[in-house]
Amino acid sequence: MTIRTARPDRGQHFRSRIHCLKKLEATMVEMQDPKCGVKGSEQKLNITTIPHVITGETQAHAYTHLITPEEAQAFGTMLVAYGYIYPLQNHRKLIMCNDTSLYRFQTPYFWPTQTWVAEDTEYAIYLAKRNIRKKGVLEPYEQAHYNHLHKWLNHKWDFIVLQATEQYKAGRERKKPDRVVFDCQERAYWMVNRPPVSVCNYNIFYQQAIMRSKVKSSVSLGALVKYITTYKNHDPFLATCLPSNPWQTDNDTYWNLNMRGIDVPTKMRVERWSFSFFELLNDLRGRDDFKIFLKKEFSGENLAFWEAAEELKLGTASSMSTKAETIFKTFLAPGAPRWINIDGRTMGLTVKGLEHPHRYVLEAAQTHVFLLMKKDTFFRYLKSPVYKEIQKKALNPEPHNFTYQNARNRSPGIHPIILWQQEEQEKAKAAAASAPVDVKAMMSKIDRKK
Amino acid sequence: MNRWHFSVDELVLRQRQQGECQRAQEALSRVTSCFQQLATSLGSSADCSFLRDEMEDTRMSAYRLCSGLSQRLVHLLSGCDSAPSGMEDRQVLERLWVLFLSGLENFLSDLRMACYLIGQFPLNQHYDRHSLVNTGCTDGMVGLAASVASTQASWLALEEEPSPDLISHIAGLEAMLTEMQLRVSVPFWSVEATQPAWAEAHSEAEDPEHSLEDLMEVEVASDNRMAACFQPPCCGLGCIG
Repeated sequence: MTIRTARPDRGQHFRSRIHCLKKLEATMVEMQDPKCGVKGSEQKLNITTIPHVITGETQAHAYTHLITPEEAQAFGTMLVAYGYIYPLQNHRKLIMCNDTSLYRFQTPYFWPTQTWVAEDTEYAIYLAKRNIRKKGVLEPYEQAHYNHLHKWLNHKWDFIVLQATEQYKAGRERKKPDRVVFDCQERAYWMVNRPPVSVCNYNIFYQQAIMRSKVKSSVSLGALVKYITTYKNHDPFLATCLPSNPWQTDNDTYWNLNMRGIDVPTKMRVERWSFSFFELLNDLRGRDDFKIFLKKEFSGENLAFWEAAEELKLGTASSMSTKAETIFKTFLAPGAPRWINIDGRTMGLTVKGLEHPHRYVLEAAQTHVFLLMKKDTFFRYLKSPVYKEIQKKALNPEPHNFTYQNARNRSPGIHPIILWQQEEQEKAKAAAASAPVDVKAMMSKIDRKK
Repeated sequence: MNRWHFSVDELVLRQRQQGECQRAQEALSRVTSCFQQLATSLGSSADCSFLRDEMEDTRMSAYRLCSGLSQRLVHLLSGCDSAPSGMEDRQVLERLWVLFLSGLENFLSDLRMACYLIGQFPLNQHYDRHSLVNTGCTDGMVGLAASVASTQASWLALEEEPSPDLISHIAGLEAMLTEMQLRVSVPFWSVEATQPAWAEAHSEAEDPEHSLEDLMEVEVASDNRMAACFQPPCCGLGCIG
């Protein structure tokens, strides 16, 4: 019902600590053991005495039989910082001092938990209660919180004041020493769990929340449905994977049939290329097929530029400047051998950026070229004889029928390093084939032949 | 003529019911505060079977208050649509509604914590008492029983249905919360506080509280004087929190 005051999720430190907290709770219980736990004594106040007070020294001593003194100090401080033990003097400093300074165990009701966060409403009730008790004299940060909560929890403010009054009265019913202890406990709990001091953080959070772009759920759900209908037959677990899913049957025919350099792809793979241009380019076999088509059309420079830009993006930093130069000479310079046709503005920006090349200097041009190919060439490819031929040639492997016996005939497959070497050879051949023709060398060759 | 007569009677009845709900809401606040005081002693040295029995009694009267109040509020707010009562009436009812739901949520979180703590610190065997935390509290509930007994609502005496155990109580309250919000739609942001900020500070006339604050502070003063003599090299970790 309540709008949980949508404060920014202080989830940065909200990692799951349930196991850690459980161990700490067990340690706390161990410390209560009358024989080997931490020894407490009595605290004498003006009017009364309150039992169960421990000093920093006894605590540190209790831990040292397990760990080193420095670790004992750190462990003790953490117990205080998390709120399992609270200091009686100087209650704002949540550290454990290895001396006679006094501490007390916190009641389990106020122990830190993972499951239930300290709520704003509860903090407001506490502040109102404190306001009643101290008649308006609160610390400055408490006043700031009070005003803030009064504004944001205004709709339940009557409840907050009512509950605070009743809690205050209920507290008054208890005996004096118990009241002192309870008030100290509560104060310590909120010292640990109070929200961060600067209250104006919320404003930026709300502004950003408003500025976030919103999509109608009908639109986003429609996109999701479309994606699922397109891809559902290609999911290896939702639909049967032909011939068989290697993860399930331990037979790697599926991977062999779908390798990067294979001659004849499977029907499913070819179908997948038609889903979107992105799929076609991503699948290296599909990219090869697309290249064949482009060669026939004599418009391979777009794809070559796109690939060169990818190499620049993903390659080593040392090779970046040389790559950038080659790309400029080959594709972008006026009169270049494989000049790409992009609009003047993008060309201007790219050339300017190439003066100081970095990884993403070709991003704009690459996107432009990608969109050109996608809107025009891709659809022509899908209707082309090249694609139709590969569709006809594509394999549809038989599903495997594994019985207990032949499941044992498993092969380890080709070593990935050999595969990589093969790919490198292919790349070198392709690079040699597409290098700009050296006219002089060609002419001299022809002369010599003559 | 008959129509006017009828609506005047209705108006009086509704006023009376509103007053009942108001008082019941205050009683519920009192009972839940007592419950919280008792729950803070769970697992500590003040925990004992007597305390847990007190908690049960408090919980049961809270249960009766909650069910009665929810029935009446739902009836009043859904019945309001048919009879054209005043805007102020509707506003008062909506405020009561928001107060009740906030109180329910608050009580629910205390119930869950109590359930968890009772599971962590069972008191079935005598040796279980060794695991209780020495917090300094000795006696958790003097006088609380009396204030709980003093809560009055007209239906507490009448309806004697058996109250459920802790876990089913929690589940029942959660179901009640969702059901109530489904049946009646009240825009809770339209409710405004009747009191301005900081008003509660001036409500309490007597001030025996000064000594309490002094007690909490006196510890610091006296022991600081002691600590000043030793000048211990406190750890260099600095202030946390």
